[in-house]
Amino acid sequence: MNEITLKKPVPKPLREVNVVITILARDITLFFKSPGMLIMSLGMPLIMMGMLGGSLSQNMAGGLGFDYNQYMLIGMLVNMLFMTTASGVSSLVEDHVTDFTQEMMISPISRYSIVIGKILGSSFGAIVGMLGTIIIGLFMGISLTIGQYLLIFLLAPLMCLSAGALAMIVIGLIKSNKMANMAVMLITMPQMFLSGAIIPINNSSGILYLLSRIMPMTYCLDLTRAVVYSGTSEYANVVLFNPLVSLFIIISLTIVFLVIGTFFFARSEKNR
Amino acid sequence: MEKMIHVENLVKQYDRAKTPSVKGINFDVKEGEFFAFLGPNGAGKTTTISILTTTLSKTSGNVTIAGSDIDKEAKHVRENVGIIFQQPSLDPQLSAEENIRFHACLYGMYTYRPTFKMMPKEYRKRVLELAEIIGIQDALFKPIKKLSGGMQRKFEIIRSLIHTPKILFLDEPTQGLDAVSRRGLWDYLNTVRRENGTTVFLTTHYIDEAEHVDRVCIINQGLIAFNGTPDLMKQNLLKQEVILDSDNRLALTNELTAMGMNHRVEDHVIVPYQDITAQEIIAKLKTKLTLLKMQEPTLEDAYIEYLLRTGGETV
Repeated sequence: MNEITLKKPVPKPLREVNVVITILARDITLFFKSPGMLIMSLGMPLIMMGMLGGSLSQNMAGGLGFDYNQYMLIGMLVNMLFMTTASGVSSLVEDHVTDFTQEMMISPISRYSIVIGKILGSSFGAIVGMLGTIIIGLFMGISLTIGQYLLIFLLAPLMCLSAGALAMIVIGLIKSNKMANMAVMLITMPQMFLSGAIIPINNSSGILYLLSRIMPMTYCLDLTRAVVYSGTSEYANVVLFNPLVSLFIIISLTIVFLVIGTFFFARSEKNR
Repeated sequence: MEKMIHVENLVKQYDRAKTPSVKGINFDVKEGEFFAFLGPNGAGKTTTISILTTTLSKTSGNVTIAGSDIDKEAKHVRENVGIIFQQPSLDPQLSAEENIRFHACLYGMYTYRPTFKMMPKEYRKRVLELAEIIGIQDALFKPIKKLSGGMQRKFEIIRSLIHTPKILFLDEPTQGLDAVSRRGLWDYLNTVRRENGTTVFLTTHYIDEAEHVDRVCIINQGLIAFNGTPDLMKQNLLKQEVILDSDNRLALTNELTAMGMNHRVEDHVIVPYQDITAQEIIAKLKTKLTLLKMQEPTLEDAYIEYLLRTGGETV
């Protein structure tokens, strides 16, 4: 046996990018190998958009001053990105249980690359879920223009990164699958109801107002709606903040959550 | 020879543990050395190996791996080591080849490609070559979860060697393997060591696997109890014996008594010796022998003797 001579090892500056792509690709591979994940990604929109959204639309949509169906569709698209990404990131706990995280932790790579790769990998399932939501919306007669869909797709990676970074803080502190699933529910469900995904929060007050303002999904939704409703008469009724403010808050929160989450994750793997 | 592993006053105390698992141990491993780190269950072997491979933080002490400090230059340490963990760490959902590809790309050896066929030719050649050596080419594209424990272990070995590490940590690498697989594995690892000069740090419960190592280090209750060659360990702990017999056994035993040699009669006449060679004993004997056998103590004999003397648990 001879020493391996690599003709073209990955150049050092690109190494971390390659790591992120490798971890992302693993999640995509696992997604296609697991029929359950595919079914969940397409089944969730049926429940969220078709049943919950449909029921709200039929019973609560009157007198809002804007088209509730369109409002709810955008809310469900962002909510799907948040829920599925957070849920996907929680599979790091499963990797810990099966000792696969050891394989990543022993590699000469940045812990940030592991976390970012994992979040982006989980985003794939989220994008599939988003597509499912669009299809269910079409069946319900709710749609946006192609341009509006494209704008949402462009914003999707930022939304996923924000959701994944938030989930990492909790995941870094948890060591069992059961707890991880509960934690994901705890961070995504309140956001679905309090950040304006399906229920407008223009008139929120007190503690609910405070909670809505500290939830990252509030700003993700508002930025998405600001982009989609830009130049329309409904803009003032739908959008709460200046889009640049929302963008600044999303980026700031994502960076803070990413740093704290990665620290917790690396510490939990190494400190016992 | 350069020190590949340097451990100085290493201490590890787990959270909520009353006493440290590793209590200030010191040892060095030289470049190319085959080093066995032995000890009973709970002695501190896996804790030490986890610290050395940067997967567990230490409480105090200094450790350098291939000249790099494990805390300050952890990334450099990881580039130079390969490890086979005590618990399998393969992704059960992926195929064996996908697991290897994942590893090779994490180590920056190749740019990631979504299929085996799309990977560079040298990668494909290398993987097929390694799979053939270990005899697992048929299972290369099967999901890990469908392979036996022994097959999974072999793939872990391929994976740990794909980036040709300077130091290979083997934490009970043959656990769960059958005898044929164990032998095949060691033949391969010995070839790697011989041809690449890889330093090997081994922990094992199969003491016979450490019979031909360069150095044995025994850890017990978090402290180093012995550090030296296997021969030195045997000499220190075991009396050597020569087994004799004769048609006239009485004449033989009388002669041994006259020579002042301690002996006992079991199935044959057993003569322990320490400050004299077997040849010197035989040269003095006049009685015609029908049996002459050297009792070669094994490392396992010495190890068990050591544990019995120190009151340690057996493996």
